[in-house]
Amino acid sequence: MFKKILVANRGEIAVRIMRTCKEMGIETVAVYSESDELALHVLESDQAVAIGPAEPSESYLNIPKIIEAAKETKAEAIHPGYGFLAENPAFAKTCEQAGIVFIGPPAKVIEDLGNKTVARQMMQEAGVPVIPGMLEATTDMERIRREADQIGYPILIKAASGGGGKGMRVVQDPAQMEDVCMSAISEAEKAFGDGSIYLEKFLDRPRHVEFQILADSHGNVVHLFERECSIQRRHQKIIEETPSPVLTPWFRNEMGEAAVTAAKVSGYVNAGTVEFMLEPSGRFYFLEVNTRLQVEHPITELTTGLDLVRHQLEIASGNPLSFGQDAVMHRGHAIECRIYAEDPAADFFPCPGKITGYQEPTGPGIGIDSGVYNGYEVPMEYDPILSKLIVVAETRKLARQKMIRALENYQITGITTTIPFLLEVIKSLPYTKADTSIDFVERYFSKWQPNKDYLDVAAVAYLIAELESSKWPQDTQQKGLPTPWQSLGAWTL
Amino acid sequence: MAEPRGMDAVTEGIAKRKTLLKYLLKIGDQIKTIQADLTPGQRKGSVDIDGVRLDVSFCPVGNNRYHIMIDGRPYNVWINTHDHGKQIFVNGYTLTVEDVTHAKSGRPRRKPLEETPSNVTPPMPSVVVRVMVREGERVEKGQGLVVVTAMKMETTLKAPYSGIVQKVNTQVNAKVMPGDILVEIQKEDSGHD
Repeated sequence: MFKKILVANRGEIAVRIMRTCKEMGIETVAVYSESDELALHVLESDQAVAIGPAEPSESYLNIPKIIEAAKETKAEAIHPGYGFLAENPAFAKTCEQAGIVFIGPPAKVIEDLGNKTVARQMMQEAGVPVIPGMLEATTDMERIRREADQIGYPILIKAASGGGGKGMRVVQDPAQMEDVCMSAISEAEKAFGDGSIYLEKFLDRPRHVEFQILADSHGNVVHLFERECSIQRRHQKIIEETPSPVLTPWFRNEMGEAAVTAAKVSGYVNAGTVEFMLEPSGRFYFLEVNTRLQVEHPITELTTGLDLVRHQLEIASGNPLSFGQDAVMHRGHAIECRIYAEDPAADFFPCPGKITGYQEPTGPGIGIDSGVYNGYEVPMEYDPILSKLIVVAETRKLARQKMIRALENYQITGITTTIPFLLEVIKSLPYTKADTSIDFVERYFSKWQPNKDYLDVAAVAYLIAELESSKWPQDTQQKGLPTPWQSLGAWTL
Repeated sequence: MAEPRGMDAVTEGIAKRKTLLKYLLKIGDQIKTIQADLTPGQRKGSVDIDGVRLDVSFCPVGNNRYHIMIDGRPYNVWINTHDHGKQIFVNGYTLTVEDVTHAKSGRPRRKPLEETPSNVTPPMPSVVVRVMVREGERVEKGQGLVVVTAMKMETTLKAPYSGIVQKVNTQVNAKVMPGDILVEIQKEDSGHD
């Protein structure tokens, strides 16, 4: 096992990785940008190396700087977290060449699976069902238009090197195609350095169901069951749960086997996620493989009892999996809510700023992976995720109730967060009935505004705070209790 | 009737001495008329909100935190004071409360962003990625004018109405703030043309 690893990330995921390292007796090295000097991942690490300006391309995406930091601190391996360089094959390759273990799949696997058209072809050949669409990505508008007419509208535009919904758009009307494509290409170029896009048939109200896989370097592959992540905004997940409320044992088995097949045909090693779209009819299609730890991995951990980061480290250090598929058990129901610094009443626009009050909910079955603290200034340069709130209980109903209680007790003030929105989604009838599909937010919460239940409480609280802060008028007149001669007013004996 | 009041009555007078105050509070986008009837020291009394009376008692719990009973229901409330009033946290919701009692015509001091959709301004501090129009150009309502980015997300600022671009006040890579007017448009068919 490694003695020291570098975590090439920031925020809650870097902190989460370091926690397992600490438990395993592995020293951690953090890297940080100029705007992250006081970030939690820096404070939680054993050693921290400054790697450049706030702009991600200068710091967290700066491969030479990160490799240099690893060499300088004698870190044996690098954990990339998610986002940033996690799915960058050039980074994995550079690590390999520098003699540093990349905690993730081999560069070639990342490259194959990261290129969604290559991945599609690979899956199609292995008999894993794929969504109708273009097999090759392009930036050629002429070709895009021709292909679009063939597939038929509505059409989904995706970035070839994308992930997390960046560069992804739906086009209903052929007249908008050019504008939307240009914007998608530009966003993809900026985010991934590759602007090429491809088109896909837009499915009607599918669920997002994904399978966690673990594959060691000895050819053993297991899946750790599914996660349903249908509640999304901007094509990015905000609420995830496991098990999926609609998957029958037969379908779970079918999809699980398809996921293991996907891992095997791609030569997968380490933890990964095979994503599917599940149509109401029960048909499922391969979407992509995320060649990294997912944001929502904790719900799998809480229901299988397995620490995924620990297994990533075991696999990366060459150890075989210590269990087979039959030993993987799933118990209870877990839900995760992603807490973002965003205003859900204003199209989820990011709201960076200073956290002036922070208190996490506690209690049995409640977990939090957080990258923030009271007094922390959330920078504007990075993804607005603050933390993840995860609950586990015996059933979906109990997990929902627990999540409501936990969200109500999660105090973050100073910045706007998605907590009230998440609370109302979890409480809502469609969510309660598991009427979830990837268009859930547009369908049921498009013009959302916070409910007005607490206006009166807020008004009363305001008055109380004024009263207690001695701003109450008579307090300003004189200290202490007034004498009877002052307070009685005019009266005669 | 002529009987003079003794000391008992005097102390009772002090204990009963209450604070009656009127407030106009802006909570989110709503304005509420509040009348407080609270006894200092005792930490209980009543509060009238838009004419509805609520029984209130409370106790402070540590810094910025209060346990409040309103009509028999308990609330744990955290309060943070900032430039424009107070932020109240209760049961997952954070509400901003501003005292507008003395503000002119009960209007908030600062114009909320929703009231100015007719301006081309970013919704938060961001960086300009692309400027898609030039001065003198004619634009249609809804046409993309400027693309800004913040926290890895791109947003297109659109023309609030059709017209002629009078002035472009920004450029690529400029850091811009909410309230900055990035593009000025001379409205078309504004009635008298």
